[in-house]
Amino acid sequence: MRPFGWRSLAASSLLLAALASAATRPQYGGTVRISTRIAPASLDPADGAQQDSITRRNLTRLIFDTLVTLDNAGKVQPALATSWKAEPGTQRWEFWLRHDVKFHDGSPLTGDAVAASLRTANPKWSIFPNGDSVVIECDAPAPNLLGELALPRNAIAKRTAPGKIFGTGPFQIADWQPGKKLTLQAEEGYWNGRPFIDSIAIEMSKSFRDQMISLELGKADLIEVAPEQVRRTMMEGRHVVTSAPVELIALVFARDRQSAEDGKLREAVSLSLDRASIRNVLLQGQGEPAAGILPNWISGYAFVFPVDANLRRAQELRGEVPRAPVWTLSYDAGDPLGRVIAERIALNARDAGITLQPSLSGTADVRLVHVLLGSIDPHIALANVGASLGLSQPKFNGSSVEDLYQAESAILRTQRLIPLFQLPAAYALSPSVKAWNQERDGTWRLPDVWLETEKP
Amino acid sequence: MLKARHNAVYNSRVPKMFISYLRPPRGVCPYLLVFFSLYFSAARVWAADWSGPEQQLASKIASVTGPGAVALDVASRSSISKIDSDEIARGLRARLSTLGVQYAKAEQAAASVQISLSENLQNYIWVAEIHQGAGESSVVMISFPRPAGGTVGGQSPAPTIRRTPLWSQDERILDVVSLDVNGKPLHLIVLTPEQLGIYRFQDGRWQQDQTLPITHSRPWPRDIRGRLVLSKEHLFDVYLPGTFCQSTAAVPLSLSCRDSDDPWPLGNEQVILSGFFAPRRNFFTGVLVPGVGNQTTAPSFYSAAPLPRDKYVLWLLTAVGGQVHALDGITDQTVARLGWGSDIASVRTTCGSGWQVLATQSGNASTESVRAYEFPDRDPVPMSQTLEFNGSITALWTESGGSTAVAISKNSEMGGYEAFRLAIACGQ
Repeated sequence: MRPFGWRSLAASSLLLAALASAATRPQYGGTVRISTRIAPASLDPADGAQQDSITRRNLTRLIFDTLVTLDNAGKVQPALATSWKAEPGTQRWEFWLRHDVKFHDGSPLTGDAVAASLRTANPKWSIFPNGDSVVIECDAPAPNLLGELALPRNAIAKRTAPGKIFGTGPFQIADWQPGKKLTLQAEEGYWNGRPFIDSIAIEMSKSFRDQMISLELGKADLIEVAPEQVRRTMMEGRHVVTSAPVELIALVFARDRQSAEDGKLREAVSLSLDRASIRNVLLQGQGEPAAGILPNWISGYAFVFPVDANLRRAQELRGEVPRAPVWTLSYDAGDPLGRVIAERIALNARDAGITLQPSLSGTADVRLVHVLLGSIDPHIALANVGASLGLSQPKFNGSSVEDLYQAESAILRTQRLIPLFQLPAAYALSPSVKAWNQERDGTWRLPDVWLETEKP
Repeated sequence: MLKARHNAVYNSRVPKMFISYLRPPRGVCPYLLVFFSLYFSAARVWAADWSGPEQQLASKIASVTGPGAVALDVASRSSISKIDSDEIARGLRARLSTLGVQYAKAEQAAASVQISLSENLQNYIWVAEIHQGAGESSVVMISFPRPAGGTVGGQSPAPTIRRTPLWSQDERILDVVSLDVNGKPLHLIVLTPEQLGIYRFQDGRWQQDQTLPITHSRPWPRDIRGRLVLSKEHLFDVYLPGTFCQSTAAVPLSLSCRDSDDPWPLGNEQVILSGFFAPRRNFFTGVLVPGVGNQTTAPSFYSAAPLPRDKYVLWLLTAVGGQVHALDGITDQTVARLGWGSDIASVRTTCGSGWQVLATQSGNASTESVRAYEFPDRDPVPMSQTLEFNGSITALWTESGGSTAVAISKNSEMGGYEAFRLAIACGQ
């Protein structure tokens, strides 16, 4: 029998072999080296004094678990709790705990431990163990409690002494030098499967520039990339991964609207902003111009808040106010991007006849802020933004998308906030990092990552 | 307490069966039904009825505009197809018309309505922005759930490797055994990390007979693997990392599991060899029982495939280090770089030397493929085109008869797992 064209196929096979790397199963071992800007003084997930950031949230998830998680579609998935039940009215919830889970100090996960942990993060809740379950009683109906419990700040931690904290997550703390260095080791008995890598070494307090140098020198495997550097980094051939937009850049007024004229000036500032140009030039095409608080991938209706500049209308509004005050506009001194955006905003406002003076003062009239949405649950994200910026909490009349829209519109109508952009989180990876995967909200899935060793 | 637990709101995922949607006409081979169900399942989901949402949104719009002439524009900002969005636009116009809202050109209209068919993580969001005269614009919207998953991936037919879909579900599949009589499937056993599902083909669809939980004392490794092997003494054995389960012989079946480091079978009915599996990892340790000739150890490996020769059996092992080792009982030879993946399986055919190796290969980050190789000597020669999968291949095992293999693929679009039977069709 003549084998059908085997020889010609052999030639193409060699070509294929050269082009395609083999689909190997994940390999165990190795250390992933991470470089980051953040410098937390504490790893306690409930420590609200630490600056919130995507990277800090990701570090928390390496060491600690939550009762439940939200998947990429925003659906609740079991984690330390395997099942749950809400009483009618959603004020009282009961969670049944996964069996045979241990903290990193070897002690078992119990209802007592879970209740103690959640009490630390939520002093207003009444929480008590009930055999192998935990009951949470909130002071008001809590239809979004599952989304709340999926937040890293509600991760389950065992606090034994000041500064001593243990989690149940995929990695345990091997060495911790606050604000400088963190070394994590794979937890052999992790309930959801031991991570492939053996350890993670995290260097903190590194500027974007220093991180990039570390990556180029082969001293880091995972670094943060500034939004305006994403395009250049990709053009240099580096492996860059980005999340969906998860961070809001906005202008926040220090005070509530003082008068109708004050409101007209705030609207004039908003209408003067050329978000498209700022995005194209200063952000190098990253992010999305935004006039709403929630990005479209979370709300589904963000486009109803117009982002286009309307300088003529801005000038008309300015003309209706005889005397306009000079407003100071502050930005984070450690954020070079913030400075140039603030300067551009001041130029736009000047075109409308309004003076905004960029300043580093902490008591400015207007602040340029970055705020994390914090959850892919739109109700929680909206509340989180409000709480982070000191705005009034959104009031939801129901759980429909229209109710969400009304709540978001109500916050915007206060004119305390002018949304500017929704930014993604971006990272660059070394070539040896395999199976990198992250959730749409930027949550790393480091336990699934493995490091490729050189093949013979 | 138990009662309360049963009332808990978390629900486990519901398996998606390839062939639960259609009833077969008499005389139609069930396998054809399987194929057609897979092929058409994408269309099945949203050969949708949009009438409910159309009615709902039209009512909301009419409640704002009242009867009269409006300019209407519909744009899709979602994954809804152009065909569907056109259909929805027609439906909305028709429903508005029945509510007294007539379509008109912008200059003749009392109001303009911009409808956006949008979506978020879980729902379709249809938004109508209504502008009336110089007054403020109004926004009304509705939402309703999006279908889970997307489309079933391409069924690009391969000329020589024949692929037959067996099963599909959201939860990870480790192995599948199909019990066929005269080429028709009667029972299907699906191994997942936490249970065995036993299904019976009846009345043109798979119906669940039994579910047998798998008990294990240790957490599973992250890249968990498992093997389901038919047994002559009882019905089947289950090999999992650090765990061995054995079924009873009588119906209704039960499954007893215990901690065990027993070696896993690597061969088939014709070739006997077992290998010890690292209980906390995803590979075989390299210790072989009873061995290949005099060779009882090899490098740690992911998978093994026998190629029977006249006087010996050549064993191919895909080593953890990336090489492919060929063991003939005396020598351990490293085969040249092949671009092979971690998983291989051999199948007996009527073409070539009678035994070929199916080997995984990678196409790009999200898809993988399988190709058949002949081993005329010690160097492989490809004998088929590559068969592309719509995702990564997580398992590839030779079936008990030796002439077919089971491949499990994680669908990169839908996210679920799919099991296929692979067979080499000679000369086709």
